[in-house]
Amino acid sequence: MGFAPRRHEETSLAEPVNGAQRANLIHREIVRLTLLGAVAVIAFFITRTIAASNREMSVRDAAEWYERGEAQLASGDVGRAIDSFRRATVKHRGEKKYVLALARALARNRQDEAARGALLALRERAPEDPDVNLQLARLAAEQQDVNQALRYYHNTLYAPWAADQADARRRVRLELVDFLLKNNQASRAVSELLALSTDLPDDAPIHVQVANRFLEAGDNRRALDQFQRALRTSPEEGAALAGAGEAAFRLGDYSLARQYLRRAPDTIDDVRTMREVAGFVISSDPLASRIRSAERQRRLIAEFAYARQRFSDCMAHVLIGRVMSDDERALDDQAGLFQTQLRTPAIHDADTIDAGVDLIGRLEGIATAACPPASPRDRALLLIAQSHGANQH
Amino acid sequence: MRTPLPRAQQLRLREHQVFLVLTILIGVLAGLAAVLFTVAIEQTSHRLFGLAPSRARLFAVPPLMSVLTGILLAKFFPDVRGSGVPQTEAAYHLADGVIPGRVPFGKFITGVLCIGSGHSMGREGPSVQIGAGIASVAGRWIGLSPRRARDLVPVGAAGALAAAFNTPVAAVLFALEEIIGDMNAALLGSTVVASVASVIVERSILGNEPLFHVPIYHLVHPAELAVYAVLGVIGGGISLAFCKGLLGLRAGFRRLPASTKMLQPAIGGLVIGLVLMYSPAIMGVGYEYVDQALNGGLLFRSMAALCFLKLAATIVSYASGNAGGIFAPSLYIGAMAGGAVGIVVHRFAPFPTADAGAYALVGMGTLFAGIIRAPMTSVFMIFEITQDYQILVPLMVANLLSFVISRRYQPVPVYHALLQQDDVHLPSAAARASTSKTARTLMRTEVSFIRADTSVGIALETLAEHDEPALPVGSREQLLGMVTRERLEELVQDGKAAEPVGSILDDGLVVHVHPDHPLDVVLERFAESPGVLPVMSRSDARRVEGVITLDGIVKIKRRRQKASAQAAEETDRQ
Repeated sequence: MGFAPRRHEETSLAEPVNGAQRANLIHREIVRLTLLGAVAVIAFFITRTIAASNREMSVRDAAEWYERGEAQLASGDVGRAIDSFRRATVKHRGEKKYVLALARALARNRQDEAARGALLALRERAPEDPDVNLQLARLAAEQQDVNQALRYYHNTLYAPWAADQADARRRVRLELVDFLLKNNQASRAVSELLALSTDLPDDAPIHVQVANRFLEAGDNRRALDQFQRALRTSPEEGAALAGAGEAAFRLGDYSLARQYLRRAPDTIDDVRTMREVAGFVISSDPLASRIRSAERQRRLIAEFAYARQRFSDCMAHVLIGRVMSDDERALDDQAGLFQTQLRTPAIHDADTIDAGVDLIGRLEGIATAACPPASPRDRALLLIAQSHGANQH
Repeated sequence: MRTPLPRAQQLRLREHQVFLVLTILIGVLAGLAAVLFTVAIEQTSHRLFGLAPSRARLFAVPPLMSVLTGILLAKFFPDVRGSGVPQTEAAYHLADGVIPGRVPFGKFITGVLCIGSGHSMGREGPSVQIGAGIASVAGRWIGLSPRRARDLVPVGAAGALAAAFNTPVAAVLFALEEIIGDMNAALLGSTVVASVASVIVERSILGNEPLFHVPIYHLVHPAELAVYAVLGVIGGGISLAFCKGLLGLRAGFRRLPASTKMLQPAIGGLVIGLVLMYSPAIMGVGYEYVDQALNGGLLFRSMAALCFLKLAATIVSYASGNAGGIFAPSLYIGAMAGGAVGIVVHRFAPFPTADAGAYALVGMGTLFAGIIRAPMTSVFMIFEITQDYQILVPLMVANLLSFVISRRYQPVPVYHALLQQDDVHLPSAAARASTSKTARTLMRTEVSFIRADTSVGIALETLAEHDEPALPVGSREQLLGMVTRERLEELVQDGKAAEPVGSILDDGLVVHVHPDHPLDVVLERFAESPGVLPVMSRSDARRVEGVITLDGIVKIKRRRQKASAQAAEETDRQ
């Protein structure tokens, strides 16, 4: 190869020239610059057209890679799906759908860091995009990173959602509530549910969904309220009746609970049991209000006899091979004394009834712990004793 | 009232204005050429390989296409092999910036075919040559003075690079640092204008998408600087391996018979086809995989393997004489090496560290600084990609170390070394900056040569006739060596007077200077010479431009003193 210096053959602008030559030179340079400008303009449009056609080709390729990726993901070939989604993102850069699919596949392949990287790159361009934030939130949730998950879920929820996407937004908040409940963050979950319940449509299933989460978070009062709102819209909604019954039951309002549970279908779990327990509580509670003293006395005698019998049967069963503990012996002695006391005419005395309910609770407690399972009547007696104890405290 | 300017000054002023307009137009045209080049490579690759090529296709396409490009490169475009950056530098420094019109055209065609057919090469180097070629052709066509036309070469190069990489500042720095070789060059303004014009055009066509989507990275823990320093050392080592491997294999290809030159690219294609069958990720430019590495999307094993395979594949593609650059491969190799280091550090370091992507990013700059030897360009390039100041400190630490290691063990930069293999010796920065007396002013252009087939006896007579201690053997176009009177006398005494002079020449390099070498270099080399120091052309290091002898220096000095005295006398008389 050689680079021998060459001399320009034509007269250049910097060389001294006479007037006519100068005019010619200037004329020539203007014409040539204009021509060069025209060439640049034409080249621009040609290049733009070719580049646009190339872009279309890339977009088509990207769509095809995406389809392949989805098919591979569906068939469980995650590794190849990742490769396909990657190619799609390269061919059609900035296309959110492809990056989200890639992140999803990466997360499924336990490449969480790579998934997060892809999503963060996307988020940098669109910090408020709800889809991107939601994916990041799910990734953080997968890693049990409560604070990050909460941050991205909130970014998702407070992003500018379209008016017709209210349902989707509600689903995201329910997803967040479920995540919080799963991670023992009940109070945060209740806060989210309160925010959610202010903006609910009159739709029974939605109220039931929210009420169930309230129930799970331990906010029985608001759960009952939501179930009742569902029942106002759809009075015979089985899930709402069962839920309302359970909420009322947990609140200790057994009459109301039985009222709802009677109408709830037995096919729903625990409805029948709860109904029976509620029934026993209502019919067996010696401390119930608005009952006559004779009835109160009858209940006490009957339930004490039942509880003592259960305790005795249980002890007879479990004491094979071991002796009665001091506590059990003391309780048995106390029960014997109380039995004697019950034979006196003054058992309608309030202190005696309190002591009797307390004793029933202790007998049932030990028997239930030593000889499960507890029958509905046993559960009812335990609830009565607990309620009495709570009231006393 | 203003005094009208003298005509020559008016014309010079007008040339400045024309130059400015031309700078903008060249920026636009170079940008368009770079965009078109990129698009054409993508289209070619798509048509040759389709969406998901079979192994057979991956294997067959590179060698078959290389047969075609081999013919084109050997028959029609011999000046467009390889990157294009060294050729552009040579054109700028040694040929008054003259690049024939067929060069940008040929580079476009062969570059598209080589890179599009899967060769592991970059598009930036060819873009630089295409842009510089367009600028050179346009400058001469408009009728600029040779000096101004030469100035357009780096302008076109900057414009093309700015569009090819979407990094206008790095493109300007590259033109100054690499092409011109002077960061204080007066062409700064012109290169900036062209670069901006080019990027505007590129973005208006392709959109304002950065080349890589990179998360914001930063230094997580001060101790990470030590890790980045280690990365710099590793990068320097890999750079060195790349340069040595490339130059060694290229020298090997050059030693093959000239008749194989047309087929050499196909040999490279065959190797690339074999590699592609098992690792298609090294195909072409490969920026999508760099993007993955930067975003932590690759595993350690993949990155380590790709680093090695890309290095080997690029060496083979380039050394076998295909048309394509080493700019993109150096970034690719650096990203993979850095990413692999990052994964190890992230897993085992006892302190918190940045994600592997941060190391991939610094690794890119490190390899670029080590291979291309343009440290400022690499720092600004990474900055333009990330828009993040915080990564600059680790980047500078790693770059500096890589640059120092590479320079220590490979003193001649790779682009210059490639030119030297082609017998082109670029002037050093010191030689370009020198304003004192040079070899050109001291040399004698009338040179007597002894032909290689002349017998030792006759050669001794010729030396005696010319009263010279030594004479060059060969011809003005091709110097074969030097013979001294002492050596010839020894041979005659040994009874070898009939042997041809060509057979007694040493194989070693002939001590020589280039016309632009300063006086101190001339004196130093003269002391090593047999008393006659040949002055060799830089653009063709086998061509003799003149010789320097002690008598010659004295005669020239006396002649000049005499001329000065005469001029002084005439002045006195007037």
